[in-house]
Amino acid sequence: MTTGRSLKIGEAGLGAAVLALGAFIAFETSQAPGAANAVVGPALFPYLISAGLILVGLALLREALTGHIAHAQGLELDGIAVVLVAVGLIIQMLLLETLGWIPASTILFMVVARAFGSRKIVKDAILGLALTAASFGLFNYGLDLNLPVGSVFEELMAEPDDAAE
Amino acid sequence: METLVALSSGFAVAMTPYNLMWSALGVTIGTAIGVLPGIGPALTLALLLPVTYGLEPVSAFIMFAGIYYGAMYGGSTTAILLNTPGESGSIVTAIDGHAMARQGRGAQALATAAIGSFIAGTIATLALTFVAPLMVKLALLFGPAEYFALMVLALTTVTAVLGASLSRGLASLFFGLSLGLVGIDLQTGQARLTFGILELLDGIDTVIVAVGLFAIGETLYNAARYRFEKEEIYALKGSKWMGKEDWKRSWKPWLRGTALGFPIGALPAGGSEIPTFLSYLVEKRLSKHPEEFGKGAIEAVAGPEAANNASAAGTLAPLLSLGLPTSATAAIMLAAFQQYGLQPGPLLFDNNPDLVWGMIASLYIGNALLLLLNLPLVGLWVKLLVIPRPWLYAGILVFATLGAYTLNNNVVDLVILWIIGLLGFGMRVLDVPVAPCVVGLILGPLAEQQFRRALAISQGDPMVFFTHPLSLGLLITAALLVLVPVVLKARQNRREQDAQAQI
Repeated sequence: MTTGRSLKIGEAGLGAAVLALGAFIAFETSQAPGAANAVVGPALFPYLISAGLILVGLALLREALTGHIAHAQGLELDGIAVVLVAVGLIIQMLLLETLGWIPASTILFMVVARAFGSRKIVKDAILGLALTAASFGLFNYGLDLNLPVGSVFEELMAEPDDAAE
Repeated sequence: METLVALSSGFAVAMTPYNLMWSALGVTIGTAIGVLPGIGPALTLALLLPVTYGLEPVSAFIMFAGIYYGAMYGGSTTAILLNTPGESGSIVTAIDGHAMARQGRGAQALATAAIGSFIAGTIATLALTFVAPLMVKLALLFGPAEYFALMVLALTTVTAVLGASLSRGLASLFFGLSLGLVGIDLQTGQARLTFGILELLDGIDTVIVAVGLFAIGETLYNAARYRFEKEEIYALKGSKWMGKEDWKRSWKPWLRGTALGFPIGALPAGGSEIPTFLSYLVEKRLSKHPEEFGKGAIEAVAGPEAANNASAAGTLAPLLSLGLPTSATAAIMLAAFQQYGLQPGPLLFDNNPDLVWGMIASLYIGNALLLLLNLPLVGLWVKLLVIPRPWLYAGILVFATLGAYTLNNNVVDLVILWIIGLLGFGMRVLDVPVAPCVVGLILGPLAEQQFRRALAISQGDPMVFFTHPLSLGLLITAALLVLVPVVLKARQNRREQDAQAQI
């Protein structure tokens, strides 16, 4: 259960993060070469935007401290589900170019389904496989796009040619 | 009348069997995906972008037009049957629409929404046909200073009109503006905020941010809330058609909604909340059954739905004639234009009349197709709503990552998607609106270009924004839109404090 208090902390964190972003952009811009050249150069808008960010960050901090936040009574959040989805996405990212679209995205499908409480692992796997295979077929052959086949499979498919030489 | 000539050549383009097919496809897929809970029109467009990569621009945009209107219709289905409006324009529809569904009158609510959308869409598209060229003429009077002031106005209205908290809206806006900074500065060729990462030199794609915030962020939020929120869906019972009384009570709201929706949507002011809320209030005032409002009054669905569709058509006016997106959905369409190397505005009307008028003509066609498809197919769409949520969201993420990856065939885009997705989740939890970020991301660089151009022409004189009357007027309007609510709220707070002190 995420309480009202931790949401207040979250809001304060938001304010601090916005503030930090503003300061960060201002700093990065000052380090860039040629920043001081023209008045109306590439540095003007970054500075304006960081000024805005800093002001907004301060306003948010004030709001967090004086208590005008949303969901002040607290909000119930299932953290594990969130982590599960996030991890599923990471797995897909890591495996996408080695194993290819179909395996990587099927795993994503299964992990996300699990995050939403599905216990039917086999059904999830079959459906995920069907969906990713269909999208692979549709997008690669029907629409001429390029979903990855996976370097592992590409090597496997290349071997017979090499062996024949 | 040259407009009518242009429109008829647009019809010639849009009515070829090939393009008709794309229009029908767009309308159907748009509705199907718009119906899915959690996917609003902006995300529907973003997710379906990859489908159009292989098409030539004319067909692609005809399909987009279909998706645009289809997604709006699908969204109202979800709002009525599931009480989960996918975007702000459907919030009002959900109030009485869902009440009607609970009473077993869901089919009538859907019917009035569909017919109202058709009428509003047709009239509004007609208005668009004549307003767009007029706006183009106006645009020719605009110099960089005026464009910049106009963009400031658009940015402030998207931010300020969203109620809640101004500082949160501004946080979202400035975050979007910061994201827009990343990449090579067009005027000097200097790389900004790229941290040596090659892939960032092209900047952060609007589509990735939109998909990250809308799809990933929403999915994360729904994953977090899934255990705690129960969804009720009401089956469609009884007669599928509207009774005589329903027609009688619907037709004037349809027209009034359209009259409210189009002008407000066409203004360079953001949001479909105003027209729909206004329509609700107007219908309540004028209704013979005001006590039914909130409990299932059909006018309360007819009017706002018409207003919603009319304002969607209206939004296309500044987008096509000025290149100004005034909603997240319009921002995605602008991103789509940019991907084809096209810049909406007066030049587009001149150089690619086929594209523009073909697209406008296809709006009429799409509208008609929607009515033909959706009244009978309503049962099918309702079935989509019953997809088990785990599979629904898993599928959404598969397509979201597909869309993000196929932009550049680059895993870095997936990394950015992931980061933005997590930020989107945080924003959802902390009630930070998402639309200002997307609009800020795409308008920021454009506004900066105009700003620097204006200053270059005036040779460094910043007063140029205030000496040009049009520019000054726009900036004052923007300032008022931000300041007036703040002042009013401060006065209200003080009055409440005084009242409490007297107790």
